[in-house]
Amino acid sequence: MTAATETPAAVTAVPRASGAAVIALARFETRRLLLRAPVLAAFAVYIGWTVWRTRTSWDGFPALQDADRATQGGPLLVGLAVLFCANHAVLRSRRHDTDRHLDVLVVQPWRRTVAHLLSVAAAALLTGVCVAGQFTWEALKPGAVGHGSPGELLAGPLSVLVLGTIGVLLARLLTSPFAAPLLIVLLFFLHTVATAPDNGHTVRWLVLTVGENTATTLPSDLLGRPAAWHALYLTGLALTAALLAVLVSGGARLRTVRAGVVGAVALTLVGAVAQGQGVSRETTEARVRASAAPEKEQKCAERDGTTYCVFPEWTVRTDDWAEAVAGVRSLAGGAARDRPLLVRQRIEARYGLDGDAAIAPATRPGQVTVGTAWGGNRVPEFTAAVAGVLVAGTEAKAGAMCDGRMVTVMWMALAGRPDPVADLRRVRLDDSDRGSAIVLSQTEPLRMTAAQTELVRELLRRPEREVAAKVKAEWAGLTAPKVTSDQVAALLGLDEPEEKDECL
Amino acid sequence: MRPVAVELLRPVARTMPWRAVGAAGVLGLLLAAAPRLTGDQADGWYALTVLRASALAFALGAAFALDDPARHTTAAVPTRRAVRHGLRVLLVVPVAAVWWTAALLLVPAPVRPPVAGITVEAATALALALAGAALAVHRGDGARPGRAVAGGLLAGAVLGPLFAPGHWALFVPPDDERWAAAHDRWAVLLCAAVAVAVVCATEPRRRLGRRGLRSPSGTSGPSRA
Repeated sequence: MTAATETPAAVTAVPRASGAAVIALARFETRRLLLRAPVLAAFAVYIGWTVWRTRTSWDGFPALQDADRATQGGPLLVGLAVLFCANHAVLRSRRHDTDRHLDVLVVQPWRRTVAHLLSVAAAALLTGVCVAGQFTWEALKPGAVGHGSPGELLAGPLSVLVLGTIGVLLARLLTSPFAAPLLIVLLFFLHTVATAPDNGHTVRWLVLTVGENTATTLPSDLLGRPAAWHALYLTGLALTAALLAVLVSGGARLRTVRAGVVGAVALTLVGAVAQGQGVSRETTEARVRASAAPEKEQKCAERDGTTYCVFPEWTVRTDDWAEAVAGVRSLAGGAARDRPLLVRQRIEARYGLDGDAAIAPATRPGQVTVGTAWGGNRVPEFTAAVAGVLVAGTEAKAGAMCDGRMVTVMWMALAGRPDPVADLRRVRLDDSDRGSAIVLSQTEPLRMTAAQTELVRELLRRPEREVAAKVKAEWAGLTAPKVTSDQVAALLGLDEPEEKDECL
Repeated sequence: MRPVAVELLRPVARTMPWRAVGAAGVLGLLLAAAPRLTGDQADGWYALTVLRASALAFALGAAFALDDPARHTTAAVPTRRAVRHGLRVLLVVPVAAVWWTAALLLVPAPVRPPVAGITVEAATALALALAGAALAVHRGDGARPGRAVAGGLLAGAVLGPLFAPGHWALFVPPDDERWAAAHDRWAVLLCAAVAVAVVCATEPRRRLGRRGLRSPSGTSGPSRA
């Protein structure tokens, strides 16, 4: 009876003791790993670079469905350092010829592998904290809109985990010190080749993190990125590498490990297949709806005689737009001052994120197009479009405009801006403030002649109030179709422009 | 009697870490063969990427060339370090030349980047690896600096394209107008790496003040006597 009661106690005591040993070893290995020079340097470069970029990213107006994706690149650097150092750490006992001493201890090789894997997990966790910090910073910016995706946010830390576990596995398979650097070159090469632009969806998503070569922002439900499946795929990869490492370092006799490897491989395959399915039919249909008939998806709000119809994620930005519109409107004269405007957000989502398609100008009177991005150059581009519609009536007519009205349009667009001449350069395609140029806009670009540029520059140099009074007084003449630049100069009391007055 | 250097050639060749160089070379050749294996899809950019990756792979292997488990023993022999290092480099360079020729020939001729330019890049990578190893031996105390040097080279290869100022334009494609100027800069880098390697092949001054009479590995005051 006594023996029967004592035996279980002895059996449970051993795993507990070795469990504690593994934890102690893992703590030691974590400290060593995180204090290695390459890991420290990688974290320093990653954090420094992230902080530097996040200060000014998206001109202070991030869309969180883009910001989550932007957290993925930096962790790869940390991942490479962790791969290198974890590999080095596993080989330490061999390098110092202490394998023989360790073999007589109660902690078997596979338990030591587990400790190394736990140290890698700690590095991944730390990366997760950095990613969370970066995303929170973006989300707390006053101009933030949209929704982040947990799948996208997990990709960075999981990449570190995958790379680190591969480092541990590699050390258990090949004891050469040159295996890890060569593996990194191979991974780099595979990454470059797999993400080549002409590759299909399935191959592209097999790499650790998948970027999008685009500046387009779409509503979060139209992205069509299989972020959650990709996170599952990465988890499967990490588990496979980790369990294989345990398996080859003597854990083969453990049935749970063998079953675990099978499960992890299955998980990886499920993730890989599911993420390779391409954009779902529902998303494609939603993209068509949002591009062709956005009015069905949008919410409208009114501010001072202007209606703003935008996708639900952008409603918080209405006040910023209203401020810009009010600034332009206050400079207009005649009937234009009270003309009802409809600011509608339009996107071209049919070709996905990387299809940078142009949007046709609106033909409805009083309708102005606004995009999904804001801040920086987007503001003067928008005010130019608003001024164009106030003067010409529709966006299409403003795009085709090639006469002296352009002077009034550009002055109205820029006069209320903090640094009008700098903005003039920024909205022009060639960043010039002299000569003729194309003026960028959300839809059709506008055109300025050299003479008009000269007049706009001259107007912007004069006091705003003085010019505003003249513009309002001469509004009918200034906005008459086919008015020449010389006539505009005469109406505003400026010298006749010396430069050419020919449209491009 | 034959000169010492000739006598030393065989023992040095025997102690060279050929496995590292061999593994790196095989990986490099596999990478270089990739455009041929993928068939019609290969383009100039792809060929350039594989050649750069393959040159980096070989350089990483060559970073182990000065690894010498017997360094602490051989530090005391009368043959200077310059001779011992020189012999190792002498053994690596012909292998590298043959290997690089093979790698270049593996890339199909229509998509192959300009040979002179890409060869300067590969030579610079190799020179940086050897200079790094020589510097590590010169400054440090370890017998096998290869791994750390390979790590450093790898870090340079990863961070270089990311953080090098845009106007340096070291990593440009062949159809870029800055290709020629970029390769002048590569050549300067190559010369700098060779200069560092040559300087580091000399014996460091005896560090009497700090370390007393204990001679660190590689320092062999008596050999100069």
